[in-house]
Amino acid sequence: MAPAPPGERTALDVRGAGAPNPRPASEISAAAPALAMQARNLGVQYNLRFTRKTKLRTSFQNILKRRRQGDSHFWALKNVTFDLQRGESLGVIGPNGAGKSTLLLVLAGIILPSSGSIEVTGHVSTLLSLQAGFDQELNGRDNISLAGALMGIDRQVVDSLMEDIIDFADIGAFIDAPLKTYSSGMRARLGFAIATAVDPDILLLDEVLQTGDEVFREKSRQRIIEILRAARAVVLVTHDMRWVREFCTRAMLIENGRITADGSPEDVVKLHLEHSEERKRERAEKIAAMARGEIPVSSVRLRRGRKGSQRPVD
Amino acid sequence: MHVAQANEAPNHFRSSAARPSSLTLLRTAVAEVLSRRHLIRYLLRANLKKQGTDTILGNVWWLLDPLISMVIYVIVMTYIFQRRTPDFPLFLLAAMVPFKWFTGSISGGVGSITGNGQLIKQIQFPKLVLPLTAVVAELVNLVFGIVILLAMLVLVYPAHASFLVLWIPVIAVVQLFFTLSLAIVLSAVTVFYRDIGNLISHLMRLLLYTAPIIWSFDDVQGRGSQLEAAIGHAGFVILKDNPLAILLESYRHVIYGVANGTEWLPPVPPDLIQLGIILLVSLGLCALAIILFKRLEPAFAKVL
Repeated sequence: MAPAPPGERTALDVRGAGAPNPRPASEISAAAPALAMQARNLGVQYNLRFTRKTKLRTSFQNILKRRRQGDSHFWALKNVTFDLQRGESLGVIGPNGAGKSTLLLVLAGIILPSSGSIEVTGHVSTLLSLQAGFDQELNGRDNISLAGALMGIDRQVVDSLMEDIIDFADIGAFIDAPLKTYSSGMRARLGFAIATAVDPDILLLDEVLQTGDEVFREKSRQRIIEILRAARAVVLVTHDMRWVREFCTRAMLIENGRITADGSPEDVVKLHLEHSEERKRERAEKIAAMARGEIPVSSVRLRRGRKGSQRPVD
Repeated sequence: MHVAQANEAPNHFRSSAARPSSLTLLRTAVAEVLSRRHLIRYLLRANLKKQGTDTILGNVWWLLDPLISMVIYVIVMTYIFQRRTPDFPLFLLAAMVPFKWFTGSISGGVGSITGNGQLIKQIQFPKLVLPLTAVVAELVNLVFGIVILLAMLVLVYPAHASFLVLWIPVIAVVQLFFTLSLAIVLSAVTVFYRDIGNLISHLMRLLLYTAPIIWSFDDVQGRGSQLEAAIGHAGFVILKDNPLAILLESYRHVIYGVANGTEWLPPVPPDLIQLGIILLVSLGLCALAIILFKRLEPAFAKVL
């Protein structure tokens, strides 16, 4: 368990729910702790009973019969323990549905851990989704202000950063058009510009760098290097192994909600590719066996849905 | 650099072991909302801005919307239901305008979390601002409605006009807290049971007839016993003494007066004891609603 710094954590701060009481400036420049994040035994459990398709009737049945308590819960992450130092750029890789995005959600404080603890030092900036932006009806400028307000940044500060953000996003006249008219590349540009504008101590990125064109990739690469040089930390979920090899100082492989490798990008990427090959081969063998009629189709379980709810095929 | 420092978030520590007490949750919630006042203001402004975009008349709709719906209600209720109450349009709108605020806030509040799933999964912010904004956004509509109503009072029904209309803001504050407590609870619970959203829209339609809007308890006194016999004493008391009914009748008492068959009596001040009780109960409910909301909040992003 993470040790609690004495006096720091008042009852109000425990959840980190973010009443943003500004930290005195002296503390930052003086201490500048090397540790950006400390995750201990993190686990995230989803209750499948309450995912979208819950019906009143089924949940009544569940309450009455207390049945299948076991399989209505699903661990998306389990026993995740790691430290993140300042200046580190951590690439998180792994197959689809392994828990990478869930990990970022916990680190961002958007969901709370079901077990274990996470300690974050400094200001976290996130860019977790591209499809959304913040408000489809509002124009780019208004979305920048809205993002600032959501992140709890003062209006004046947002206004002073506005031109920088627009500059970096470089989407021309579209900045005054509603977000719904943007291409996914333009959203990526704007989102990345907003997320990095506030000089985050820790930047969390989920699958966002693929979308942009070469010019934008080069620009965001530069920005990330700047952030790292300023002794800040970046956590990045990606399927782009080239990026991991070139720009991450460390990589982590997540499979089935657990960290299966953590180390130099070169080694971890290699392991990941090996595992991927293995899975591909297994699947091919299984399909071949099915085609030959060696195993009955009904014994194969298809993975359905991102959160890994498994259902037998009838 | 000074920029980042000014906005430095506190050190975050999140642990599954943390189980804060209800009082802590309440304090956190209030602190969060107060510290994010400008977020609420911003969301409101964005809301208004959106209403105006993509339309030819733009912001004129803020005033046109309540005006048109008022005209429709008056036409339907006056000519189809053939009410004999004198100055029926004023009688109706005095309760209808605040009732529209109520239904608007509740239906806005119910979907305020589920409708913002993308936002909630993207960024960490106090989710309580969402139902709050939904209710306060509707307050804007109430203000426009009241302005139209007052203009009508002075220009068309000067006989009803009195300084008792100064009570309107007081009644509105009581209604605000009552509505808030309901909106907060409903917004959170709907995340887990979407059925509530469907249910609420029907409930609101039912309320249009069971709440004193197109009729008044002042007016049914004679037939009160008949009504009481039909729905039982308990039912009658619930119908008459629920917070919404009292609030709506209070608005009518200060704007229109007291309806009495084919006569009407001049406006009377609201029953302050009743209003006071509703205010206290609503504040208590608000506190409970916020605690419930904060307990459910961590699960929102997982379910949405």
